[in-house]
Amino acid sequence: MSILLEQLTKRYEGHPVVNNISLEISDGEFFVLLGSSGSGKTTILSLIAGLTAADHGRVLLHGRDVTYLPTQQRRVGLVFQNYALFQYMTVADNVEFGLSIRKVPAAERRRRRDELLDLVGLAGLGSRMPRQLSGGQQQRVALARALAYQPEVLLLDEPLGALDAKIRAELRRNLKSIQRKLGIATILVTHDQEEAFDLADRIGVMSFGRLLEVGTPDELYQNPQTEFVASFLGSGNLLLGNISQEGVRVGPLRFPHTEDIRQISSEGRVQVLFRPEDVALAPTAEALDCPELGQAVVEEVSFGGAFERLRLRLPPIPGVRPISPPVAFGSNSILVEATRLPDQANRFPLQAGSRTWVGVHRIHTLEHPGLSFMIVSDGSRRAEAAVALGGQIARLAHARVTLIGCGLEGEALQAHLQEARKQLGSGLAALDVQTSHNTPAQAVTLAAEQQPYDLVVLGFNPQDDLSLAEQILQVGEHHLLLVPNSQPVPAQALICVTSGEPGKDDVLFAGRLVRHLGADATLLSVIPAYDKSPDLLKRTENFLEGGVQSLSILGVPAKTAIRTGVAAEMIGEEVSQGGYDLVVLGLPLTKPNGKVSLSGVVEQLLNNITDRAILMVRSRYLGARYYPIMVRERDEHKNSSARSTQ
Amino acid sequence: MSTVQLTQKPSETRVEPVYRAPFPWGRLGIRAAALSYLVFMLLIPLAVIFQDGLKEGLGEFWAQVTNPIAWSALILTLWTSAVMTVINTIMGTLTAYVLVRYQFPGKGLLNSIVDLPLAIPTLVTGVMLVILFGPQQTLGAWLKDELGFSIIFSPPGIILALLFITFPFVVRAVQPVLIDLDRTQEDAAATLGARGWTVFQRITLPYLFLPLASGALLSFARAIGEFGAIVIVAGNIPLYSQTAAVYVLGEVESENRLGASAVSMVMVAISFSLILVVGWLQRRRLKDKK
Repeated sequence: MSILLEQLTKRYEGHPVVNNISLEISDGEFFVLLGSSGSGKTTILSLIAGLTAADHGRVLLHGRDVTYLPTQQRRVGLVFQNYALFQYMTVADNVEFGLSIRKVPAAERRRRRDELLDLVGLAGLGSRMPRQLSGGQQQRVALARALAYQPEVLLLDEPLGALDAKIRAELRRNLKSIQRKLGIATILVTHDQEEAFDLADRIGVMSFGRLLEVGTPDELYQNPQTEFVASFLGSGNLLLGNISQEGVRVGPLRFPHTEDIRQISSEGRVQVLFRPEDVALAPTAEALDCPELGQAVVEEVSFGGAFERLRLRLPPIPGVRPISPPVAFGSNSILVEATRLPDQANRFPLQAGSRTWVGVHRIHTLEHPGLSFMIVSDGSRRAEAAVALGGQIARLAHARVTLIGCGLEGEALQAHLQEARKQLGSGLAALDVQTSHNTPAQAVTLAAEQQPYDLVVLGFNPQDDLSLAEQILQVGEHHLLLVPNSQPVPAQALICVTSGEPGKDDVLFAGRLVRHLGADATLLSVIPAYDKSPDLLKRTENFLEGGVQSLSILGVPAKTAIRTGVAAEMIGEEVSQGGYDLVVLGLPLTKPNGKVSLSGVVEQLLNNITDRAILMVRSRYLGARYYPIMVRERDEHKNSSARSTQ
Repeated sequence: MSTVQLTQKPSETRVEPVYRAPFPWGRLGIRAAALSYLVFMLLIPLAVIFQDGLKEGLGEFWAQVTNPIAWSALILTLWTSAVMTVINTIMGTLTAYVLVRYQFPGKGLLNSIVDLPLAIPTLVTGVMLVILFGPQQTLGAWLKDELGFSIIFSPPGIILALLFITFPFVVRAVQPVLIDLDRTQEDAAATLGARGWTVFQRITLPYLFLPLASGALLSFARAIGEFGAIVIVAGNIPLYSQTAAVYVLGEVESENRLGASAVSMVMVAISFSLILVVGWLQRRRLKDKK
């Protein structure tokens, strides 16, 4: 084993950017870490190279534990994204640097330097200064420099990122042949999946500090296990379907069990993936030689070189819920991506606006993760209400539940958990009971680091628990359901939104939850009384109408309401008049320092609405989780590298 | 095709004349004001010194400069300034490095204190040093009795005073360069096996060389003309602790205008050439950056 990472974790300001990663890379393997920016992949390289200190876990290189060794003793070759050539040295001196540090005799140094410059295709350019070279040449020098003193592993941090397409392709080929020739275990970090497919023996896909899946390019493309990997690698069509004894069903599509369809569970909901090349197009339903999905309108045709790329729009199909490509807010049609080879395109030409029948040759099924809930209980009366309501909703939504008991000691805790377990009973997708001796906020933070949750359910009293709610929303990606007292399963949900991107997220998550309860929804927007512009009213109406469309594709019947006045008062009025038993509120924007604050309108509402469950939805756009981490990662890297050079 | 078009086009295209204001008084006025201010404030006084120093001829000028007391004052000025520059370069770099790279409580305050010598009257600096190291004071007395080493009224005092007043020059020259420095090169050197001092010397220092040199030369130039602190600290003992600036004052007071002008001229010439070198270094740095 060349590189072994064990439960590696790195936190910046309490947020894990590398979260419990374990990975084995064998001798001579070319491993690619693939993920979008901010997913923590570069931090992993820093941890292996020792430029950043790990908070937890171990790094082993060829069986040697280097976790606490300084960078200088790790024998790691690292190529940086910006090359990081020594500007005041010639190319030759750059390449020889590692050797001269190790006091290798001059003759040997020269021999090795010439050998390497030859290997990377820069023979004869040793006397140049770095700034006299092109980007691609500089990157080759960086590679030669990293290889000169024969490192045990080679780490490449987006080495081709800054180069133009043609040079990138050429360097990619060189890189692969050099790596093969030297047989050195290599990790390359990239966000470019084409590069990953091209170079990798195996790929690891990362998202938000977690390593989601590891496998050969082929495995990951054909048999992804998670929704993220399925939609991140290559383009794909992902729908929600059902699996039963007979096979897999997605609306009108029926597929018998074959080897392609992984036996996940015998019954229940599954995600169904089909790649663009698995889509068949024909002028009539009869002409399709595979199960048919429906008739579509061609929305877009684009030239893809060796093949033609199409985007098709299908009308809503009962029982079909698309996951990817995502349906735009306010639309209820289904988008399908397809590719065709030129001869197919010639036989049945299609332009934007043409009609075609759509069939699917082959599908792959993935486990549908469903929703996962965390219920926090400290044994109080309101916590019991939270356990009861959370359990009922989870049962209806087939959600996995983690129950965390905290704030109680010894027997009282055990007795309480016993009771809660009984109350949650059966019918949950999974139940995990944990006890914690930390404060509720700490317990939630730790649990959310272990695994992301969709929803945290908390017994809530606005006088006592406001700051706890803020702390819970400060971490992770979950939304928050506040339960003040014993509540029935909601049948009428009031979704309070303002038009805009965050409002869209609020509607969509509320819809995902409410659809399982069989509840009706009302979308409410409050327009400030001082703003009399007809434009705003129009925009709000359009937005709410879009929300109704988006809810309809989720199977949630919805109506709209617009009120004019002060937000907190108007929502309060609507709540008391409308007989709602669930109020959905969007979280306010985070403060400039990244902190979640509920003071203001939300606090007023929480104080006024004391006898109904309140769902607080976190939008992707609020920045609590995403923005501060990425910025700080970079700053922190600067500081930590200072440590290593002392 | 395209070449044909190219040869045809130019005859058709009309070059728009650049618009110029008919009477650019404003622009010329600004230039004239700035330049005449410069001439009046800097060049004329400088020219007068040179004219005055040379009015009795080169031979007399040379005699004034090589007069033993004047010569010794000049030499003392140069060597104390040189020693100060060496110490200041090393310690200033260290200070800048610590201020940029390390986090510690009170860093912000310390960073502001660096500029304090620019604000304190140099006379006060002299008084402070006399209070600290004077022969009647505990520390000064102890140094003299135990080590036979006196600071006040002797060259070490001059060096101390110069170090104090020129403290900001090197620090402020190096600091911004260190802040802007791309750290990945240092990281790269570390992965290649280089340790702290090697990394500093081979990777970081080349970037600091030009700012260091200009900071050092500036502090040297500043030190040559220092008067206020030295006149208090050095005690003005001819042939031992009298610097050039103090000597000039003495000559002015004893109405030897020629002697004063001649030595002043030498000081101005040295400072001026140093400033030219600093200017050249800074231009080269800008070119290097590109």
